[in-house]
Amino acid sequence: MKQFEYINAKSIQEAAEILSVLKNEARIIAGGTDLLIELRRPNAKTPQTVVDITSVKELKGISESNGSIILKPLATHTEIHKSDLVKKFAGFLGEAASVIGAPQIRNRGTVGGNVMNAATCADTVPALIALGAKVTLHSVTATRTMPIVDFFIKPYKTKANADDILTEIKIPKLPSGAKSAFIKLGRRNALSISRLSVAAVLVQDKSGIITEARIVPGAALPTWMRVTEAERMLIGEKPTEKLFEAAGKKVSEVMISFTGRRWSTEYKEPVIGVLVRRALEKCIILLNEVRKNEC
Amino acid sequence: MKKFIIKTVINNRKYELSVSPNQTLLDLLREELGLTGTKRGCEVGECGACTVLINGEAVNSCLVLAPQIDGKEVLTVEGLAEDGELHPLQKSFMKHDAVHCGYCTPGMIMSAKQLVEENPQPTEEEIRTAISGNLCRCTGYVQIVDAISEVQK
Ligand SMILES: Cc1cc2nc3c(=O)[nH]c(=O)nc-3n(C[C@H](O)[C@H](O)[C@H](O)COP(=O)(O)OP(=O)(O)OC[C@H]3O[C@@H](n4cnc5c(N)ncnc54)[C@H](O)[C@@H]3O)c2cc1C
Ligand code: FES
Ligand code: FES
Repeated sequence: MKQFEYINAKSIQEAAEILSVLKNEARIIAGGTDLLIELRRPNAKTPQTVVDITSVKELKGISESNGSIILKPLATHTEIHKSDLVKKFAGFLGEAASVIGAPQIRNRGTVGGNVMNAATCADTVPALIALGAKVTLHSVTATRTMPIVDFFIKPYKTKANADDILTEIKIPKLPSGAKSAFIKLGRRNALSISRLSVAAVLVQDKSGIITEARIVPGAALPTWMRVTEAERMLIGEKPTEKLFEAAGKKVSEVMISFTGRRWSTEYKEPVIGVLVRRALEKCIILLNEVRKNEC
Repeated sequence: MKKFIIKTVINNRKYELSVSPNQTLLDLLREELGLTGTKRGCEVGECGACTVLINGEAVNSCLVLAPQIDGKEVLTVEGLAEDGELHPLQKSFMKHDAVHCGYCTPGMIMSAKQLVEENPQPTEEEIRTAISGNLCRCTGYVQIVDAISEVQK
């Protein structure tokens, strides 16, 4: 790593002031699991100053407020995975956090870093999109909040300016009775970067009819979004293998409509369909468990 | 470039150190403090050979900047033995032949240390998850899993 200055910021205000002066010459470090790898590359653009935010108390913690989960950016993947609040109201986000990297990466890597880095394979993002999360960015000149789905422009590119700090991720709780699942396909179990993933949510009424569905593929589309074409196919129907297969097929059609056919399509086309089906099936299994307990 | 004065506790010993911002914890341990038990492997968070505990949590020391341990407690494999007596994990690794070339061993043991502190009777699956960030090219992992599962028994 080339040389840089280091500042250990003690408050959001202090970090924001440093960034407002240095702009592109400064980089925030949280867990460092993306940043240090980037700075080690031989052709890396080394900032003049690295601003450590890990001592900023206001940026830590997971809490509840008026029907929402408030996720502070320094929440680590380990904390998210262990959080009862997340387990209860956003199960698949905890599942996604639990399959990131390995324990050492989860102990240090943060959700804020995952979102801000905006890699195609960022595993918390599909669930955050499906949840309809909102992100708050703060700089000396402005504080803005926007839906996370509008925040991403393309891989590694977001609407954040160089002097913005991500200060909060606000997540509406899933409706009661909803079940969610995250399925990731990597090259091996641990330490594998997602080749493809799917985050899904289903709600059924008492007679078993699907009343709500959300499907967000990861690492499949040019940016993250709900595939409403596939979601609509599910609403008003009873779950069957055929229905879920059809929804999966629709997601792969949408994927190809964006990406066109390329060398990887032969592999991704069937696989994304299967992942969608499996994620939906997992939701149904969880829903059935709830029903059994109610009987 | 400005150097940083940090106060830290490493293996239960207090240190006041002057560190460079672009130095990693791994560099600090190996090159300055002579604690070469912690190994340098990939330096990109993939092999786990550099695993140490910071405030009880397993981390890759190649992905931590030296100034970031200011005010924190670091434990490396050298800090496990007490009064000349090896730690139960170290004894169990020896007993089960879980050390072949030994390059992965310090990192493996530190990952296992966090696990057994938090969960004294882990299942095989929990053990495999705990060491999933540590690569071993020799043992095939079976002896390592045995060593960790037997340590508390
Ligand atoms: C071996 C290995 C395996 C991995 N496996 C996975 C995986 O399976 N899935 C996955 O999704 N990721 C994986 N990652 C990537 C990484 O661990 C995650 O993206 C992690 O969440 C990044 O968080 P961090 O706190 O370490 O970010 P940092 O490296 O500290 O920061 C990342 C970027 O975000 C910026 N930033 C951080 N916090 C803020 C903030 N609050 N406001 C503004 N900007 C901010 C930084 O300036 C930097 O540009 C892996 C990484 C490694 C090294
Ligand atoms: S040297 Fe740190 S993980 Fe490989
Ligand atoms: S004993 Fe040789 S790498 Fe594990």
